[in-house]
Amino acid sequence: MNRERNWTLAPRSRGLESRAGLLLLLLAGCGAGPRPAAAPACDQACQDGVALRALRTAMKIAYNFEVSTKPVGPQDGTAPCISFDGSRGGSVHVFGDAEVNAVQGASIVSLTYDFKDCLYSAPPDPSADQNYSLTLTGQVIENGTISVQPTATTALIIQTVVDSSTLQPANSLSASGTVYDPALDYVVSGCALSVVQNGNAVSGALCGRSAGFTF
Amino acid sequence: MKLRPRAARCVALSGLLWFASAGLAHTATAEELSAHGASAAKTTAPTPLSDLDVPYPDGASGDATIVLTMTVEKDGTVSAVTPSPTTEPFASLAVNAALKWRFEPAVREGTAVRVRIRMLVEFHPSPPPPSPEAELPNERSTAVGGPPKPKKPSGPVEIQVRGVKVEPSRTATLSRAEVRQIPGTFGDPFRAIEIMPGVTPIISGLPFFFIRGAPPGDVGYFLDGIRVPLLFHIGVGPSVIHPALIERVDLYPGGYPARFGRFSGGIVSGETVPPESELHGEYNVRLFDAGALLEIPFDEHRGEVLLAGRYSYTAALLSVLNSTSQLDYWDYQARASYQLSPKDTVSLFGFGSYDFLGERTPTQTLTLFGTEFHRAELRYDHDLSRDGTLRVASTGGIELSRLPDDRFVRDRLLGTRSEVNLRVDPDALLRLGSDVQLDAYDVRFNASALSPAAVRAANLFPTRTDLAAGTRADLVLSLGERLQITPGVRIDYYSSQGHGAVGVDPRFSSRLLVTKRLNLLSTFGLAHQPPAFVVPLPGFQPGGLRGGLQLAVQQSAGLEYDLGDATSATATVFHNGFFNMSDPLGSTQMTVQGCAPGTFPDDTLGGDRGGQPTSGRSRNCGTPAQSFNPGEVGPDNSGGGAGGGATRAANALEARTNGYSYGLELFLKRRLTSRVGGFVSYTLSRSVRTLDNRQFVATFDRTHVANAAVAYNLGRNWRAGTRAMFYTGLPKPPDPTNPSSTRLSPFFRLDLRLEKRWQISPRVWISFIAEWMNATLSKEAVSTTCTLQGCQTQTVGPITIPSLGIEGGF
Repeated sequence: MNRERNWTLAPRSRGLESRAGLLLLLLAGCGAGPRPAAAPACDQACQDGVALRALRTAMKIAYNFEVSTKPVGPQDGTAPCISFDGSRGGSVHVFGDAEVNAVQGASIVSLTYDFKDCLYSAPPDPSADQNYSLTLTGQVIENGTISVQPTATTALIIQTVVDSSTLQPANSLSASGTVYDPALDYVVSGCALSVVQNGNAVSGALCGRSAGFTF
Repeated sequence: MKLRPRAARCVALSGLLWFASAGLAHTATAEELSAHGASAAKTTAPTPLSDLDVPYPDGASGDATIVLTMTVEKDGTVSAVTPSPTTEPFASLAVNAALKWRFEPAVREGTAVRVRIRMLVEFHPSPPPPSPEAELPNERSTAVGGPPKPKKPSGPVEIQVRGVKVEPSRTATLSRAEVRQIPGTFGDPFRAIEIMPGVTPIISGLPFFFIRGAPPGDVGYFLDGIRVPLLFHIGVGPSVIHPALIERVDLYPGGYPARFGRFSGGIVSGETVPPESELHGEYNVRLFDAGALLEIPFDEHRGEVLLAGRYSYTAALLSVLNSTSQLDYWDYQARASYQLSPKDTVSLFGFGSYDFLGERTPTQTLTLFGTEFHRAELRYDHDLSRDGTLRVASTGGIELSRLPDDRFVRDRLLGTRSEVNLRVDPDALLRLGSDVQLDAYDVRFNASALSPAAVRAANLFPTRTDLAAGTRADLVLSLGERLQITPGVRIDYYSSQGHGAVGVDPRFSSRLLVTKRLNLLSTFGLAHQPPAFVVPLPGFQPGGLRGGLQLAVQQSAGLEYDLGDATSATATVFHNGFFNMSDPLGSTQMTVQGCAPGTFPDDTLGGDRGGQPTSGRSRNCGTPAQSFNPGEVGPDNSGGGAGGGATRAANALEARTNGYSYGLELFLKRRLTSRVGGFVSYTLSRSVRTLDNRQFVATFDRTHVANAAVAYNLGRNWRAGTRAMFYTGLPKPPDPTNPSSTRLSPFFRLDLRLEKRWQISPRVWISFIAEWMNATLSKEAVSTTCTLQGCQTQTVGPITIPSLGIEGGF
């Protein structure tokens, strides 16, 4: 993604994709005044958090494309990686098993995501740490509960495939591209991933470093 | 004229016989035509029979001059009075007194005729001056519908006789003087639309309405005959026209005159104030914006220039909240007119508006939504020799809506129209007109970045050039003393992207004078319209005439009763049929959000939202979920997220429905500029839609809609008002936890207004105004959301706007 382009995007509102195309705008009670302050510096922990967000979002999109609305049971499908601007790059192979807990309103998953040079770029966002454009390679497994109704809580374990020799998450994940706004180069390779998601919070370790973010 | 002496207070009256031109008839009703040209020798002016005293108001001080424009009927009674200026309490007193006056009627060629005259009422707290003498009348004539020509310094006396009554299809009219007194409108005549019978709001405070069941996109807004693409600034903002420029706003909910066309849902028509012969101006400063108007006559009142506008400082004001959002708006109006000769006037009228809503980041400002439009019209008005008028006008303009990601839709338009009104017989007025308009649309949506569903919706608005041409004729025919009928027809041709369509719209209305105070009104008409967008937005006009023209069959019948003492009442029943209608709002059935207890499907998988869901989203609980279309990659679709919403939006925009609506409208009004004035408006109605062989109550159907307002003159130039609004809740989707409940909660709100005025001099005044829309901070129920633990009503709001401001004039 060309970060030098002068984007004029609203990251969370896409008028044509709102219900019935109607923008019901209320006076936000917010105004502009002096120029906004520059974004704070993004250290390694910050950058790892953005990368983790990119990975988790890519998993979400692949799940919704390949698994959501499918009958319960074994799952196996491949989703293309398409960014907000229509650019394509790579794919994600999703396979495993998924069930439903109708009492709680949740999905119970045990899935593997095999990223093959999957490029995903997020639309520009006023929050600096929600901007990224990364190419992902490697296998990630996801076990636990995905909440569909508010009566359930998302509880997931997300990690790289376990190394049979060490019984630890393998150093198999790579990511390259940019994170943050203004864009910062970000490259990791041969990384282990071991995080948990509890509700909106994702935290754990990426490349041996503590990393986390909150949706 | 007798003067009633009071201790230390007197009133002076001078009669100024002034003869309403067709142009000034334009300020009351455009269809009223002056029989221009009759000399004073053939027509005698009305002669006062009653005491013309007006008492000096208690508690008031200083001098005041009120010009009353009055209609004197054939029986010598005064049927309508308009004061200028509306300085209180003098204006109300003068109007109330004038309505009780009696005259020997004007006579033309041996027959009593209805005329409009102007009288000057001067208030002085000092001993009365000698009885004023009636001044010679001044000639004043303009073409129908155009701005009145400035008063000539001298010339022959002319009496202009109007023979056409108020259009039966016009259910309500409000003058600016009245609207200023209605709480919650902020003195904005167009905002007062929502109080009129037959008008159903989408959501309280939002300036989009259903009118007798017709959707917001099918309602046409006009100012002096020029279509206005957007009537209000972003969100709940003020109207795009400075209130001081508006003399009155008329609502035609159906069966409108043939001069209105290409809209099938109702017409809101505003008329600007006529030129004044003296320098004057107004200004207002509020918490969030400021506006002003200035009018300057020149060349011995042959010409006038008017400038008006409004500018918001919401951005600077709200930056105190340290937010990253940005909201800006402004508007302007300009008018110049010049009387080339006693029968010819040329004028130029332009107006425009700008709105922007965005969000600031450390490096840029992101566009969320923006609109902009500009209009300019050059007019030539000519008084024909045979009691007629001619107008030729050319209009150009541009309108634009901005969307995120550099997307926009833009329309550049050019049109011309002509209108002729001819008095072909003393009891027959023939009205003819024609017009042509070209619209060149430029659209940029960057479709490659959109999901397939969004592309479908975007394809409804292609780049192209549209053509619309029409011709119309109607005849206002007086059959005897009591009955007036108006048959008419208009024919319109539409062309877009190689597709053409013709709409033939017959119209008929009648007015029967049952008694002196009671009129029986009826209207009937067909109204065609091209496909429309959800709400009126600049540039958002679907192209290609996909699905053909919309059609509405409108009929109504009603009673109009003059209760006296500036009080009137109307009762109307109506029925509208809609065919091939584009109504995304009304035809999209509400669904329960989320799964109620025991309904979560256990055989298919829901979506992943990434984060924790805060509300259950509908996913066809209890029925198998729909599968993705292969290749439909894009936003999170979990439980029907953004992608599913785009699909539903596209479906709604493309759908064409049939439907009907019927109901009863009641309207009771006492002039709000009276010491105690107010109104009560009530609508009982039902709207139904039919889509895919399913019939259902329209999504925005509201069984009961009621408004009531009271304005009270507290004395010492204090004026207070309150307004209550109530309406039934929207139809509710089946709620598994409460199957018997079919409606969301009803809505009620209270608006307040308080004004204190200081009269600095007879012409200079200043007011402090405190106003609060939705002082009750009421929220409105809009949907139902379920979780596996139960269902709850979701609300929006409160949409509340407090305002403090200063207004003044000279």
